[in-house]
Amino acid sequence: MYSQLAWRNIWRNPRRTIVIMTAVIIGVFSMIFLCGLMRGMEVEMIRNNLATLTGNIQIHQKGYRADPVVENSMTDPVLLENAIKTNLPEGAAWAMRVRVNAIVSNARHSTGVTFVGIDPAKEARVSFIGKAVTDGRYLNSDDTNKILIGRALLDKFKTKIGHKLIVMSQDADDEIASTAFRIVGTFRAEMESTEKAYVFVTLSDAQKMLKLKNGISEAAIAFKGQSIDGQKEKALAQKLKSRLPDSIYKVETWPELLPMMREYLSLFDNFIYIWYFVVFIAMGFGIVNTTLMAIFERMREFGLLKALGMKPVSIIRGVITESFFLLVSGIIIGNIAGIITVFLINRTGIDLSALAAGVEMWGMPRVIHPELWIIDVITANLVVLVLGLVVSIYPAAKAARFTPIEALEKT
Amino acid sequence: MNNIVELEKIKKTYLQGKVDIPAINNVSLSIKKGGFVAIAGPSGSGKTTLLNIIGGLDQPDSGTVRVDGEKFETLTPSRLAELRLFKIGFVFQAYNLIPVLSAAENVEFVMLLQGIPKKERLRKAHAILDDVGLSGKYNRRPAELSGGQQQRVAVARAIVSNPSIVLADEPTANLDSKTGQGLLELMKTMNKEKKVTFVFSTHDKMVMDYAGRLVRLRDGSIFDDQSK
Amino acid sequence: MMSVNVKLDVKMAWRNIWRNTRRSVLTISAICFACMILVFMLSFQLGSYETMINASVNMSTGHLQVQSAGYHKKKSMRLVVSQPGEIGGILEKIPGIAAYTFRANAFSLVSSNKRSRGVLVTGIDPEREACVSTIKTMISHGRYLEQSDTNQVIVGNLLAKSLRVKPGDELTILGQGRDGSIAATAVIVKGILSSGIDAFDRSTMQIPLQYFQAVYSMGDAVHEVVITAKSLKKVSKIKKDIQKGIDAAGRGNGLVVLDWMELIPGLLQGIEMDLVSGMIMYLVLIIVVAFSILNTFLMSIFERTREFGMLMAIGTTPGRLIKLVLIESMSLTLVGIVLGIVCGSLITLFFQSHGIDMSGSSEFMKQYGIPARLYPRLSLVSALVGPAAVFVITFLAALFPAVGIRKLKPVEAMTHI
Repeated sequence: MYSQLAWRNIWRNPRRTIVIMTAVIIGVFSMIFLCGLMRGMEVEMIRNNLATLTGNIQIHQKGYRADPVVENSMTDPVLLENAIKTNLPEGAAWAMRVRVNAIVSNARHSTGVTFVGIDPAKEARVSFIGKAVTDGRYLNSDDTNKILIGRALLDKFKTKIGHKLIVMSQDADDEIASTAFRIVGTFRAEMESTEKAYVFVTLSDAQKMLKLKNGISEAAIAFKGQSIDGQKEKALAQKLKSRLPDSIYKVETWPELLPMMREYLSLFDNFIYIWYFVVFIAMGFGIVNTTLMAIFERMREFGLLKALGMKPVSIIRGVITESFFLLVSGIIIGNIAGIITVFLINRTGIDLSALAAGVEMWGMPRVIHPELWIIDVITANLVVLVLGLVVSIYPAAKAARFTPIEALEKT
Repeated sequence: MNNIVELEKIKKTYLQGKVDIPAINNVSLSIKKGGFVAIAGPSGSGKTTLLNIIGGLDQPDSGTVRVDGEKFETLTPSRLAELRLFKIGFVFQAYNLIPVLSAAENVEFVMLLQGIPKKERLRKAHAILDDVGLSGKYNRRPAELSGGQQQRVAVARAIVSNPSIVLADEPTANLDSKTGQGLLELMKTMNKEKKVTFVFSTHDKMVMDYAGRLVRLRDGSIFDDQSK
Repeated sequence: MMSVNVKLDVKMAWRNIWRNTRRSVLTISAICFACMILVFMLSFQLGSYETMINASVNMSTGHLQVQSAGYHKKKSMRLVVSQPGEIGGILEKIPGIAAYTFRANAFSLVSSNKRSRGVLVTGIDPEREACVSTIKTMISHGRYLEQSDTNQVIVGNLLAKSLRVKPGDELTILGQGRDGSIAATAVIVKGILSSGIDAFDRSTMQIPLQYFQAVYSMGDAVHEVVITAKSLKKVSKIKKDIQKGIDAAGRGNGLVVLDWMELIPGLLQGIEMDLVSGMIMYLVLIIVVAFSILNTFLMSIFERTREFGMLMAIGTTPGRLIKLVLIESMSLTLVGIVLGIVCGSLITLFFQSHGIDMSGSSEFMKQYGIPARLYPRLSLVSALVGPAAVFVITFLAALFPAVGIRKLKPVEAMTHI
């Protein structure tokens, strides 16, 4: 009965209802769509970061992260290998690496890089490099003195596939080791800085050059998909920690490995909530104003209802029910529009390559595929609905305070 | 050319629901310059429609309307608005005045539309308000004036720029009889002193008595027309 | 027939606004709110851009650089600016330049007792450098270089940490001279730099320019002439003047003048991108506000239909009526806008003097040269652009119900209930 009455009441002035509903629709749509864009970007940023040799979990010798040098390597990886193998979840992959700073040079150029020794087959399942080779070929496990470098580095050095590069780094005996490698291929990455920063050789080459024997710098574990909150990672890290003595090993999940990323995400989250609130206030004024107009027009009616013995509470409930219908209708349409837009753009993505340098500066992906998170959609809808009802209390209370005489005097 | 208004075979029907209601049925009427004419009849007899047609606010289905020599059917809406602005004054039953403007400003507003300079507007507005007996009440807003005073402001506004004709649709309908009489006296005075033609509608016997010519309508047709 | 005097129109509009005080106050509040947010946000954004640009410019690139053509991309030792003194002479005569200095760079292997690193070693003129960049103020341990220093270096704190050195320790530098010869020397760490920007602190090593030139067989040549302008706005003018000066001296061949946008293209594009995404958000906000207040405009016309009928009957043209209605709507908007600008400016000015604490995100912001306390900066642009957009969009919202008046017929309007 109440709801039927309220529904009919909001359509007594269709134009006015449609206008304010449009404000709600645009507000909700923008909340969902812009949030979808940001989430799409976040997910892509995390994916890129994790693929760029981070993985979901890494294990190092204690002290390596503060000082990533040869002497902070794990000399006997067998314990580690066993611990990982017995705990590795379904679908996850892992790889061991040697990873140190080095200088690469040819006759004319030299620069500092991160020199990474990998197990080609295993590494391909863990990080981006397996799919990133665009010219030449990927490494094979039986390669000797072959190196894979970024396209940007190749261009900077004005060299070619098949030519040699000298790699210099400090070995386990604190001597400068220097080895010549032949370029077998180049890789591309989302960021030009990645292409300049990393060079890859086989694990055994790296160990031999740096006199590491079986030693490795890190082990990385990658899950299928990713979890933004890092909960899955935490669980596994806990298990690994119980198997590995923490006087030697340090197990870290990606939020610990990439503190910047974590801050960036929380900045995003805060921004989204502030944005929700601002948009709500913008439509809140309209909701209050429109509801006020509607009740002042019906002052006589409210006076009459009161004269007939209707309680103020019932009047308040009636007016709030009207707001509720107005808000819910707007929210539903806004959601549908937002979800469809996100879905459509998700397939093609928004290409930001034209702004490549700017994209790189903020560490953003080049193509954004917006995506929807249930929690964001629920938050957006709750913000609009709950706050919308709260602000409707003011006009509702106004309507309840009309006295029959006052209402009848006013024509 | 002595006639200010010439109506020839005017017909007008309204569509109410699905039925055509004839409002004006074959009316021909001429009104002389300087006349003080009452159009009388019970409600629904077509008085208001006839006045609206003379004022160019409403268009007849057939027949011709001439006011001050201008044939209405050949005029564009904006020419018609201009004609109303300069040659026809209106006094309505109610809602005559702009509520946010004072008495003087309401009178000024028409002159503003006519493009009369500020100084002259003020002088004329005050003079005409004095003429209608509202001196000292220039700055009152409509809400601060009595019903009779509001209608006096409406008359002042209607005649301030010497129109050819003033059309008043039941100007006294919302007034008590004494106030109504006062307003009619005022209109009569203005008619004599300023030589303004007045045409007003009424269903009030007392009002009819003031008229120099009484045109009686019934069911959209003139059934009696006599000059005193 | 248009008015000689709009005063009565404006008076009418103003009084009409206050016929329904509550409604007008709510409408004005909505507009005020939007303008306030826009003024504050734009001041905030523009303020942080300026901070970011200044941080980059002051720490590394300067506003402008004169380099050998191609050096910026290739960073090749051989692409030098010879006789830099002559270029300096040209710069002295150009107005608007705050300071300039010379730098030379060479990628070298730097080793301490325990560690080796590949580092870009930069030769700087200590006195001139202090006028151009903020490096001198960033020394956290030890001391800055002096003009008479020779084999002394200052090192970024992260680099120092990874080399395990502190002031007074010795480093050896091994690189390639300009002529291809081996450049080797031993130097003493004199100071440690902490900028807070990891990329900078991990890679910076500076030695006195004269010593650099001797070690790397540079002669008197340098790689970069770094120039700071007195203000960001003067950069393009100065750039032209320098180019003219170089051409006139016959050095135009082989030398290029690069401004900060060319030196750090990512910075400008990053700023543009941030600005554009901000604009999209602001536009959405303004549109939501426009719909929020559209009902007020609709209502104020709808409830006065009879009055409009009367006005038309006495000869007001529809155009004139629309004008009246628009004056009314826009007066209302203007009150909101002015209030919004005032409130927004006050809030901005408050934070401009107190700063906004961003310490929750400080690690992240630091990497862009943004300090933990951010200071928005109120300017004419930031105070007016947002409100101007609000004005335009509100005008469109007001236009929609106003043109509906055209369809009004006086007789029907007057009998409207």
